[in-house]
Amino acid sequence: MEYFFLLLFTGLAAVLVGAGLLTSYLVAPHRPNPLKNSPYECGEPTIGQSWVQFNVGYYLFGLLFLVFDVEAAFLYPWAVVFRQVGLTGLIEMGLFLLVLIVGLVYAWRKGALEWV
Amino acid sequence: MYELLWLVPALPCAGFLILALFGDRLPRRAAPFIGAGSVGFSALVSFLIAYRFFTAPPEGEHFSQVLWTWMNVEGFTCQFSLYLDALSLVMCLVVTGVGFLIHVYSAEYMIDDESYAKFFAYMNLFVAAMLMLVLGENMVLLYLGWEGVGLCSFLLIGFWYKNPANGRAAMKAFLTTRIGDTFMAIGLFLLFVQLGTLDIQEMMQRASQQWAVGSGVAVAAALLILGGAVGKSGQLPLQVWLPDAMAGPTPVSALIHAATMVTAGVYLIARTHVIFELAPSAQFLVAVVGAATLLLAGFAALAQRDIKRVLAYSTISQIGYMFLAMGVGAYAAGIFHLVTHAFFKALLFMASGAVIVALHHEQDMFKMGGLRKKLPVVFWTFLIGSMSLASLPIISSGFYSKDLILWSAFASEKGSKALWFAGFAGAFVTGIYTFRMVIMTFFGEEKTHVHVKPGWVMCLPLVILAICSTFGGLMEIPSSIYHFPLFTHFMESALPAAPIPHEGLEHAELMLQVIAVIAVLCGLSIAVVAFGVKPQIARAVVATPFGAKMRDLLFAGWGFDWLYDKILIQPFLRTARFNKDDFVDLIWNGIAALSRGVHSLLSETETGHVRWYAATLSVGALLALAIVVLL
Amino acid sequence: MTLLDLVALLPLIILTAAATGIVLLMAVCRCHRTTALFSMAGLGLAVISLPFANSMAPNRAVTPLLMLDTYSFFYMGVMFVSSFVIAALAYAYFEKQDGRREEFYVLLLTATLGAAFLSASSHFVSLFMGLETLSISLYAMVAYTRDRRDSVEAAFKYLVLAAASAAFMVFGMALVYAEAGTMEFAKIAAARGALEQGNHLVLLAGCAMMVVGIGFKLALVPFHLWTPDVYEGAPAPVTAFVATVSKGGMFALLLRYFVLIDVHQYPSLMFLFTAIAVLSMFFGNLLALLQDNIKRILAYSSIANLGYVMIAFLASGHMAVPAGALYIAAYFITTLGAMGVISVMSTKERDADSFADYRGLFWRAPWIAAVFTAMLLSLAGIPLTAGFIGKFYVLAAGEESSRWIGIAALVVSSSIGLYYYLRIVLTMCESAEDEAPVSRPSWTEATVLTGLAAALLFVGVYPGPLIHAAETLVASIL
Repeated sequence: MEYFFLLLFTGLAAVLVGAGLLTSYLVAPHRPNPLKNSPYECGEPTIGQSWVQFNVGYYLFGLLFLVFDVEAAFLYPWAVVFRQVGLTGLIEMGLFLLVLIVGLVYAWRKGALEWV
Repeated sequence: MYELLWLVPALPCAGFLILALFGDRLPRRAAPFIGAGSVGFSALVSFLIAYRFFTAPPEGEHFSQVLWTWMNVEGFTCQFSLYLDALSLVMCLVVTGVGFLIHVYSAEYMIDDESYAKFFAYMNLFVAAMLMLVLGENMVLLYLGWEGVGLCSFLLIGFWYKNPANGRAAMKAFLTTRIGDTFMAIGLFLLFVQLGTLDIQEMMQRASQQWAVGSGVAVAAALLILGGAVGKSGQLPLQVWLPDAMAGPTPVSALIHAATMVTAGVYLIARTHVIFELAPSAQFLVAVVGAATLLLAGFAALAQRDIKRVLAYSTISQIGYMFLAMGVGAYAAGIFHLVTHAFFKALLFMASGAVIVALHHEQDMFKMGGLRKKLPVVFWTFLIGSMSLASLPIISSGFYSKDLILWSAFASEKGSKALWFAGFAGAFVTGIYTFRMVIMTFFGEEKTHVHVKPGWVMCLPLVILAICSTFGGLMEIPSSIYHFPLFTHFMESALPAAPIPHEGLEHAELMLQVIAVIAVLCGLSIAVVAFGVKPQIARAVVATPFGAKMRDLLFAGWGFDWLYDKILIQPFLRTARFNKDDFVDLIWNGIAALSRGVHSLLSETETGHVRWYAATLSVGALLALAIVVLL
Repeated sequence: MTLLDLVALLPLIILTAAATGIVLLMAVCRCHRTTALFSMAGLGLAVISLPFANSMAPNRAVTPLLMLDTYSFFYMGVMFVSSFVIAALAYAYFEKQDGRREEFYVLLLTATLGAAFLSASSHFVSLFMGLETLSISLYAMVAYTRDRRDSVEAAFKYLVLAAASAAFMVFGMALVYAEAGTMEFAKIAAARGALEQGNHLVLLAGCAMMVVGIGFKLALVPFHLWTPDVYEGAPAPVTAFVATVSKGGMFALLLRYFVLIDVHQYPSLMFLFTAIAVLSMFFGNLLALLQDNIKRILAYSSIANLGYVMIAFLASGHMAVPAGALYIAAYFITTLGAMGVISVMSTKERDADSFADYRGLFWRAPWIAAVFTAMLLSLAGIPLTAGFIGKFYVLAAGEESSRWIGIAALVVSSSIGLYYYLRIVLTMCESAEDEAPVSRPSWTEATVLTGLAAALLFVGVYPGPLIHAAETLVASIL
């Protein structure tokens, strides 16, 4: 029975949100023009189609960046508690970096770092 | 030494595997070496074990070897284990020994066949299955061997499958024995349910403790086992497959009739003799079946034209003697006859095979004759085998074993004069048809030109078996001649001795022997006169209307095929035709249609659309939630 | 972290090192054979290290995350050997293909690592880590033959759906955590006892949500729809992996988790699992009935087979754990064999998955046909094959705790299933004069197939050692 309120709450939330959207749809004025219908892009007029094809190299760089970004994010807390975790921590972080370096070596040898 | 027991069935099985898997790639010459060699080594191991069994018998006169446990679930255990006692040892020796000789013989007999390796593969499997049957410690292994033997007989009878008649004969053998197998399977289930074990020895022990003599369940079990034995051993009323089984190559006939297959039924009864002891009525039925079969088959053999069919009917008849022995409680006598029969029947088949090959696959005796000079080795060995089959006194092994059976049938508590008389009459008929066959084949004028003469590979087994057929009987010499009961004494550890009261029968034994010998000699003389010296006598008998009818009836094996065709096959086919689309089928078709329907319904769910898949995933999650929360 | 912990972790460490090593190796030299051998050596070493780890550091909890006991080592052993076989099959398979082939083995190793992690996990965090390591590697593996449309399509389907199911799973974990206040299995079990009667509902709802994720990976109805598409699209060795290793790890986890929280206390959960099992058996077998793509047939058959093994899971008696382990081992051998045949028969252009590829195979390549027949018979549960032993033990386990509905469903549905297995066998027996001869399998393929067939018969005829090994697991899991 105590979960009944949960159900009620869920239902209420759905109704509330739906009601808000519906009200704004009904009440708001509809006067579209081409400028209003165009996609918003930082206040600038849009250039060309949105379906452009990216060079696949972007993804590779993106991925590599992400990996080392996360690495840096890990290094900060580790540096903070460096004294407490001691030698074990050093070895563990070393292993972690080693794996990433191996990955980097692989990517390098594969030619992922060359821009074509 | 006993630890090598597993090799006995394993070697032929290995031979089968090698030949079946690599048979095509091996050189042709290797096939007989593997085929005969594996059985030969198996025989060697058997003989070594037998030697050991004589010199230093294992504790309790039996030995069991657990190879591995197949499954063990909550008190139900099924093991791969072998059991060796006097009975299975004798069976092993016969199967491997005689089997080996037949394999050697086949090496030459089948040399021109295109499926040379396949033939030996099947033969090896046959021997392996038979060994499994006789060595299995529990009913599962026995049944495995039993079915394996059935399968191999099917494969080998129909070996020359390009001739549809051979295929039909194989099918007939398979289906007929299947009737018996069904009885036997039901019997085994009954035994297992009632006694709660699969181990044969344990089963027998529990049966003797739990069941009263003559109790219903014991009789039922014994009758069901008898059903199985009758099927495999070609006894009334399931004997019809055996004469047709001659469609297979002659070594196959030798193997089926001498070493494997037909002896399985006899073995089964001996193995489960405790149950038959508990069911006297069923045991009496065994004796009656044996007596009836030996007479009917003996007479049927009189009118056959095909030399192999004569031998087939003679096998049915001789197995009848063994059943008679089992029925009167003289198990050792029955097994003794099994051994001697294996010798002389293998010999006769192989010698007839030599004749058939020499005459360019001519099997009709009416087209043979005068081969005595042309094929001396075959003639003499065949003659020795025939003497043994007809049980000529003293010089043939068949005499000793058949005599023991007759004496048991007469004197045993379970025997009677009627049973003895049936056996006696059978011996008389045996004398006639055996020497009819000998005379028609080897004497008289030559009718077909001798094509090839058998080489030494074929002759050697004949000679060895001829020696065995002559002297093999000396294992057991009746007390009326010289008291030497070696065989029955040896078997006593596994099979109880026949209950023969000794008072007041001292002279009867000798007297009965003399009578029987006279009967055999009479039969022999009749054959010599009617078919050799004055063939017009036989022709005159057949010329009379009654004689002609009688000959046709006997030629057709008492018309059992005709009878079964009329009362079983035709009605069955008619019912089947009438009931072609019957309501029972409707159920099965309905199930199939239902399955198809549900299948196509379910197939609709496999749309290939990810959105639909994701939707079902969510619905499934909702359902799971609903079940868990609401229930 | 002590030395013994490291010893217990040794199999996992070896796998990780091997995966990293291959990446480095590829940077130095690109050689398909060397890479394959390297990965197989890594898997072999990991297998060898298992008994060592098991005897040196028995039943050891390494951090709260992992429970390295005999149970997990058994499943790891089975999975590592399977991955070894798959690596060998993949080597032969990719030898026929062009393009970059070496990366496959990295993915294979990391996926295996994920599955091994699953089988040893005793904590939601390690569960999820294992699951994702496995899944992410699998996406790439399924799409490995990327010039084939089907392959890429299958990978995308798998990606989307697996992600969705993982979301359900995480949500379930959150609910369980909300109620129990811990993510360790053992502590959840303890906390469960302290709960009041009414409060079980959220815990149960959490478990039900987790079932979605688990059911998806195991391809149980109604979370099974992806199976045929992915099986069909993925290259044959990957299909073998999806069918075996990825399911084995998940099944080990399922059994461990639900046995620990004592699922048999909750009739509603039991009902849910029974319904899932029964539906899986029937849906799997019925869907395969008239299917004309062999890979799809095997997909449906795997749905049914996982339904069978759920009976072992449902059984509460002491036979449940060994029966499940036995079935999984037997199922692995069989599935690897069947997929191995498909892999061997495949060409550069396409996988051999239509009936036409197998017409008259008995005359064209009798050995392969014989192996395939043995595998199909084992899937159907014919005696003297491993499949029979597995099914027999599952039935015995179900009988022991009176799961009659499941047993009845197993018997009925597997007799339906016989039809489509025999259909394939029949196709292989047909005469085929117009079919092209099969190219001779390489010796790697021949060895793998022969070995699997031998294992199949060995387990079927002499299952003693495997049964014994499976029975020792009971003590370690509880």
